[in-house]
Amino acid sequence: MGVLRDKKAFFVFLMPGLLFYLLSVFYPITESLRLSFIKWNGITPQQFVGLDNYKRLFQDPVFYKALINNLIYLVIVVIIQLSIGLLFAVLLTYLKKRANLVKTLYYVPCIVTTVAIAQLFRSIYSTQPEGLLNQMLSAVGLGGLTTSWLTNLNTVLGAVSIPEGWRFIGMYMVIFYAALVSLDESVYEAAKIDGATELQILFKIKIPMIKDILLLTFTMCLTGALRGFDIPYLLTNGGPGNASELMSTYMYKQAFTNNQYGYGSALAVFIIIESVLIIFILRKIFENYDVKAQKKAAKQALALSKRKNNKEGRVA
Amino acid sequence: MKEKAIKYLFILLLIVFLIIQIYPVIWLFIASLKDSVELSTTPFSLPKAVTFENYKNVLGDGVIGGYMWNSLKITMISLVLILVLSATIGFALSKFHYKHSKKIYSFFMFGIMVPVQITLIPLFIFYSKIGILNTSMAMVLPQVGFALPLSVMMFVNFYSFVPDELIEAGIVDGCSPYRVFLQIVAPLARNTMITIASMYSILIWNDFIFANTFISDSSAKTITMGLKDYVGAFGNVDWGATYAAISIAILPPILIYFSLNKWVTSGMTAGATKG
Repeated sequence: MGVLRDKKAFFVFLMPGLLFYLLSVFYPITESLRLSFIKWNGITPQQFVGLDNYKRLFQDPVFYKALINNLIYLVIVVIIQLSIGLLFAVLLTYLKKRANLVKTLYYVPCIVTTVAIAQLFRSIYSTQPEGLLNQMLSAVGLGGLTTSWLTNLNTVLGAVSIPEGWRFIGMYMVIFYAALVSLDESVYEAAKIDGATELQILFKIKIPMIKDILLLTFTMCLTGALRGFDIPYLLTNGGPGNASELMSTYMYKQAFTNNQYGYGSALAVFIIIESVLIIFILRKIFENYDVKAQKKAAKQALALSKRKNNKEGRVA
Repeated sequence: MKEKAIKYLFILLLIVFLIIQIYPVIWLFIASLKDSVELSTTPFSLPKAVTFENYKNVLGDGVIGGYMWNSLKITMISLVLILVLSATIGFALSKFHYKHSKKIYSFFMFGIMVPVQITLIPLFIFYSKIGILNTSMAMVLPQVGFALPLSVMMFVNFYSFVPDELIEAGIVDGCSPYRVFLQIVAPLARNTMITIASMYSILIWNDFIFANTFISDSSAKTITMGLKDYVGAFGNVDWGATYAAISIAILPPILIYFSLNKWVTSGMTAGATKG
């Protein structure tokens, strides 16, 4: 690979960027690891405590609360983003004329800053003055359901998850749409001629064919949700109590509110381990699944093309 | 007949979803044009009388201008650094013969997976030690660092389409590798540069987590931080002013998005799918 052999020029091109990267990404990771074995409040001298921070982690009820909350948050976000994103994308493939315009508009929430989105949802959820959500519920005769969404212990976690889910629907839609329109039309045209209904084509042919993209988006969605921070932090900062506490908001609180840099770092390390683990498990699941699916898809495609050939033969 | 009915149903559904997706954003702009009385009595109707009072209030104290300037400064410096550094790294890794190139490339790609939260504590400590908390520098460093993996990937992708013969020809004609890069290769990378610049200008402008951690001094605050303060600063939430401030803050990304739409979406989807 590469035609230029000037070593000095190579390093001149590489080093400035590499140094930046080492300093701002690599160094903090190693430093986080080191700090997670240390007890430090930022003022007194650092004190090596071995695994104490991790021991404390596993005895901390708030940690478990945050972990469970994060899983619920993750499920809500993934369901919203992937199911609605896929649905949008499928619907959009039936729209011939204005697909691009619709795509462009759907994407808008992705480019609005999280602070604006948090403020927006704060006003949608608000009770004083009555926000959009409560007004709409009253308008359709469900006035009994109105509540103070961000302070009610039962609704707060859902209320902070939904904006994050909503925000990226457009992005997943664009990804799914691109995958769907790049499919070879002849495959499902053949099925159509054979009398397959649109729904059958969708679930038996189109969706299995974009399995790779599904894995990818699944991974993105999960890692994205595990890192979820901005909107929950801005809307409730984990409150009331710890009712909507997530891993990252808890880490942030420990580090920057309580000045427990060591314990905060242990939480940060846990977030990384958790993300890597989830990616790994997901890849394994899909790998197994993929082999099976590929065989099945190949069989189906073969059967379809055979049938198609037969038909064409008959027509000719 | 039935097929047509279904088709209209689909279009109707799409429009309903479209409203859910963009109505909040449009509503924000409409709400910012209402006076506070109207806002509290009929917040969701069209304004009876359009007023720019909220904008006057927000822009009047000049604070938001300072925030915008800070954001602009950070975005611009970061963008220049991201483009220069990733263009050169990509060039080194794809056009030079060096046996560890692949390893260095994977080392960069590893960065795509790293959650930014893990860097907050160490960088905060590091910054307070060298005294650059509350400066633009504190923001630029992580923004560039975290943008590099993806940008390097995009440049390496692009350079793989630049034929080696072109570079060889330049060398044979007596150009140094530096001139080959500056005069032959870099000008070709225009599209890659626009993609990266449009995407990261939006992402950096919108950043919240780094600003919230490294900046507390109001003279160094970015626009997103400034928005967070709006609720508090006016005592009991002045929603009209808040909406006006939000509208001002999200306008630049929206303008960039609508004018460079194709590049923004392609960059962001590439970024997301490679993560």
